[in-house]
Amino acid sequence: MAAPLIELLDISRSFGSTRAVDDVSLTVQSGSVHAVTGENGAGKSTLMKILAGVIRPDAGTIRLEGCEVHFSSPLGALGHGISTVFQEFTLIPNLTVAESIFLGREPMRRWGGIDYPKLRSGAAAALARLESAIDPDGMVRNLTVAEQQIVEIAKGLSADARVFIFDEPTAALNSADVEKLTRLIRDLKARGKAVLYISHRLEEIFALCDTVTVMKDGRHVATRPTAELNEHDLVAMMVGRELSSFFPPRAGTVGEPILTADDLRVTAAAPSVRLKLYRGEILGLAGLEGQGQRGIARALAGIEPAEAGRIEKTDRDQKRQALPVDAGIGRTLASGIGFVPEDRKGEGLFLDLAIRDNIALGVETGRPFWTLAPNTTAVIGSMMQSMNIRARNADAIVGSLSGGNQQKVLIGRWLSSGVDVLIIEEPTRGVDVGAKAEVYKLLRAFSDAGGAVLVLSRETPELIGLCDRLLVVHGGAIVAEMAADGATEHDILHSAIGSRQAA
Amino acid sequence: MAMLSALLPAPRNSRAGPWYLVLACLVVVVAVVSWSAPLFLTPGNLSNVAAQITPLVITAIGQTLVIITGGLDLSVGSLISLTTAIIVLDLPGWAMVLLAIAAAVTVGTVNGVGIAYLNVHPIIMTLASMSVVQGVALITRPVPGGTVPGWISGAVNESLFGLPAALVWIAVAIILAAFLIYRTRFGLHLFAIGGNPNSALMNGVRVRRNIVLTYILSSLFAMGAGFFLAGRIASGDANVGTVFGLDSITAVALGGTSLSGGVGSLVGTVLGSVLVGVIGNGMNLMNVSAFLQIVIKGALLLAVVSVQRRKQIGL
Repeated sequence: MAAPLIELLDISRSFGSTRAVDDVSLTVQSGSVHAVTGENGAGKSTLMKILAGVIRPDAGTIRLEGCEVHFSSPLGALGHGISTVFQEFTLIPNLTVAESIFLGREPMRRWGGIDYPKLRSGAAAALARLESAIDPDGMVRNLTVAEQQIVEIAKGLSADARVFIFDEPTAALNSADVEKLTRLIRDLKARGKAVLYISHRLEEIFALCDTVTVMKDGRHVATRPTAELNEHDLVAMMVGRELSSFFPPRAGTVGEPILTADDLRVTAAAPSVRLKLYRGEILGLAGLEGQGQRGIARALAGIEPAEAGRIEKTDRDQKRQALPVDAGIGRTLASGIGFVPEDRKGEGLFLDLAIRDNIALGVETGRPFWTLAPNTTAVIGSMMQSMNIRARNADAIVGSLSGGNQQKVLIGRWLSSGVDVLIIEEPTRGVDVGAKAEVYKLLRAFSDAGGAVLVLSRETPELIGLCDRLLVVHGGAIVAEMAADGATEHDILHSAIGSRQAA
Repeated sequence: MAMLSALLPAPRNSRAGPWYLVLACLVVVVAVVSWSAPLFLTPGNLSNVAAQITPLVITAIGQTLVIITGGLDLSVGSLISLTTAIIVLDLPGWAMVLLAIAAAVTVGTVNGVGIAYLNVHPIIMTLASMSVVQGVALITRPVPGGTVPGWISGAVNESLFGLPAALVWIAVAIILAAFLIYRTRFGLHLFAIGGNPNSALMNGVRVRRNIVLTYILSSLFAMGAGFFLAGRIASGDANVGTVFGLDSITAVALGGTSLSGGVGSLVGTVLGSVLVGVIGNGMNLMNVSAFLQIVIKGALLLAVVSVQRRKQIGL
């Protein structure tokens, strides 16, 4: 048998005192799709960054078709035929598509200028191989996320890469684009390329990959053909224990309405929406991507004020309070509504600050500005303990935490501020399997303690497992309501699409 | 017309910024000035305007390179002053030129290394070097005076093929910069760095080296402006360059170049410089006090920057 296309041998890499990757070996054959999975912080991203040339290993060797190779930059790796589509793209908004594809390795003329005709035709050829209609002369800033991904892949194709690394490629895609990407990856495989696919999403791993490698705590756990496994086995390997109850039990009984919206219009043209959130329940907004769930949630949270409507919040003393639609985030927060955005790094957390400061913000919320800052050490300590935030101490910088722990810090901020309604978008985006269960438990504990949660998620199984009640949104309107217990993905999809046919 | 096509960014190139707005402003200002000050459109005054504008155009072109990467160079003014002070030193011509180039390269390198390698903020870094260079210029030439070599005066004041020398200086600066910005890999990488330095790095762009290079180029363009200015005022003057720091930034911003980097054009900078020059000349003709002119210039920069969308290129 010929030497495998890529061999990683005994790779190790430490950051400070933590061994992010500990003596890991991995072999990838050409013409195959190889999944690398594991919880966040398992070291899979670090391993891929080593292969992509972003970071160098402390020890170990990389072999390409049996020959040892070294590279010090992503461009160097690309020169060896290894192309990486990073989770956070490396495209630059003010360059054209063609310039982006050839950035750093522009075709040159003899006298030192860039050969623009060649650059353009090369880019067009690479895009054509992906059957993409993207204009090579268009600016990157005008592309959708899915299109940007295609440009990243085209970059690899134009460099004649033989290995493609995808780091969580579907995290930001809607289902139609996920399907397109799946086709593209199968196509790469058919052309004899080797694909490394990093993902948490089990269904994708089974649908797409031939082999799966599981990592945990920087170590290699197992490499198996996916055909020999089922989801249950895989999850067990990832967390190292059986996940008996992934989702916490549902609410027994629910209380009186805590948040009601009547005749809510997100925009002047949007249909009117009416919803009630009851104390003690977790309510999910389901539906196809981009059908207006986000607008409704953000209008309720006061982030993006609605055009018209009545919002009413009942507080713990049964006092009702009308919230004007244009009240703004300050008012809604004061009335006890916390908001956890999907983009927690950009809109939620202060990544450069400590856990302490990020949570203290919640405690400070609503206090008059002239009061002295309270001592929050005890509150934060108990919050970190009860939420099981894994960090050295409260002074750890939030940006250095894993996705799951970051999410817990953000939820912790609102829990410590005493809100009783939590509006949360994509509660487990970029959160690993083990921490997902913990986030679910936290949300359930919050609702059991007399709060209420409104959840938005792209992952329908998550909504079904987590929520008590589901509202299906289509075209900005609520088209169906169902109990989550017993609902199936099929039911939800049916309401979402059925309504489209009716309309 | 290769020069013109290089100067005008192709239509596909929408990272040029709204440079056409300055063109519209220029038309309006020229109309207003020539209506209220009939002297403006006389050939004598126009060639005077061209000569007044030349050092600004040259400086602003260098400034554009820096601003496209998201930086700022406040030290260009003092470097112009220092250059004029060096020119009137009692040295052989070749030694004087070498010394001026060495001074410019040193200032640019120090700025660039401080900013790219030591992570000093561009404003702080160039504010500091501005003060240092200003001091050195004053030490070299405490009072204005000295003799400017004849070949420099000639190159500034004579005409070539019937065109004032000033236009030749401007043309050379524009052609050089147009080639750099629109035809070379260096130029593309400037925009990439201004767009997103981290992504640029990931794509193999040598971010730090390129940033150092832009500050060196900015200093060299300022040095060129210093030569022109020395020829025009026929003396060395350690304070003559002071206004160019602010004026060059105003000209670049007027030209639609984003002060947060990544978006900009050469044509905008040239037009912006002309606009600043015409406004200055017009105010002179209308007998606006020099002090009030300083107030108006500052207000103009503020107005332009307020109008700019500072997150123009955010994805």
